[in-house]
Amino acid sequence: MADLQDIKREIKSVSNTQKTTRAMKLVSTAKLHKAKELTERSKMFADKLNSIMSEIAGRLKCHSVNEIPNRSFHLIDDPKVVDIVFVTADKGLCGGFNLHTIKAIKRLLAEFENKNTTVRLRGVGKKGIEFFKYNKIEMLDEVINLSSKPDLQRSDEFISVSLNDFIAEKTDALYIIYNGYKNMLTQELHVNKILPIDPGLFHCEDPIHEPYLEVEAYDQEVMLDSLTKKYVHTSMYFALIDSVAAEHSARMQAMDTATNNANEMVKSLNVKYNKARQAAITTELIEIISGVEAMR
Amino acid sequence: MDMFELEILTPNGVIFHDNVIEATFPGEEGEFGVLAHHSTVTTLLQTGVIEVAKKDNSIEAVLIDWGVVQVDSDHVTVLADGAVAIKGDTQSSIAKSIDDAKELMHSVAPSASVIASVSAKLENLATQVLM
Repeated sequence: MADLQDIKREIKSVSNTQKTTRAMKLVSTAKLHKAKELTERSKMFADKLNSIMSEIAGRLKCHSVNEIPNRSFHLIDDPKVVDIVFVTADKGLCGGFNLHTIKAIKRLLAEFENKNTTVRLRGVGKKGIEFFKYNKIEMLDEVINLSSKPDLQRSDEFISVSLNDFIAEKTDALYIIYNGYKNMLTQELHVNKILPIDPGLFHCEDPIHEPYLEVEAYDQEVMLDSLTKKYVHTSMYFALIDSVAAEHSARMQAMDTATNNANEMVKSLNVKYNKARQAAITTELIEIISGVEAMR
Repeated sequence: MDMFELEILTPNGVIFHDNVIEATFPGEEGEFGVLAHHSTVTTLLQTGVIEVAKKDNSIEAVLIDWGVVQVDSDHVTVLADGAVAIKGDTQSSIAKSIDDAKELMHSVAPSASVIASVSAKLENLATQVLM
């Protein structure tokens, strides 16, 4: 039977851990509300911009798309070099949040390796970076303190490198992978192919009569370049803020589970303590009775 | 008169969403107006004021710093980087929104001619909004 003092010490230690996890849960809940609000407000903008870009790409697809200078709308079937930008958290203690993203990156890396495609990995978030460094997987870029504190300017600077390399034909595709917010209890993994722009489900029903591109004709190229830049920047920034909201929801859940587990542990330790105490009392009683019996 | 749905979105949320009779946009190539059943068009907008005529004939104005507009026959969507709605019930609240709008305009540092024309338009609109 374990020593009573040891069990008492263990109960105290677990109770203290429980206090910490409960506090962390409260902090995450407060942060989640703020991050969720920002994500929901930005989502409409990001979704609408995506649909505009898909529609333009779709309309261009119906015609000889590869003739226009903007490479973002070209159909590149066999990419030689691909940029993969991933977003993970800077901190742990959020369950499988980071692991889900890492697994998706590894799957994509294996996929591209089979096709003999060179991958340039660009990481945002300490946890993901640490994983790939530990596994000796080479990364082109590492950025920390951006996924925990999304900043528009830093985000634009970071993603501009990928955009410029794509335009300069150094890369043939750009992917952004992150774990996004779905609801208070669920996160959703996003593997988004940002460049070249996906025409989505646009159908060329009547390509002859379909207008080439319904834009003001003054300077189509200026407009496509400007929109592409905005689209890539928005996609990156939205990935960051969506990831922060998801991180807080994952941490809130993980801390809630930890608090409940600590509660169960304290309960079972209390039972163990009471049993040990009872056993000690019984032993003492037996010793007294035995002593009295021996004296007779 | 026929109306169409106008939506002005920024990364910080919806700035305007209502059925309107007419809207005027600050296009890169100059101002253009949109009525219901307009032909489909997508174009860029520059720093300027979007003027909206609502069904009760009231005027509402929104200053944007950069944007793209997608016009369909009965639905118009504007995506703007930053936007400030010029509205309010009192002179002081309208003056406050005009100050915010000017601050946004100066933050993107357009040319002096754009600043002058947009400022004049804002002052002019302020009287119309209050009417």
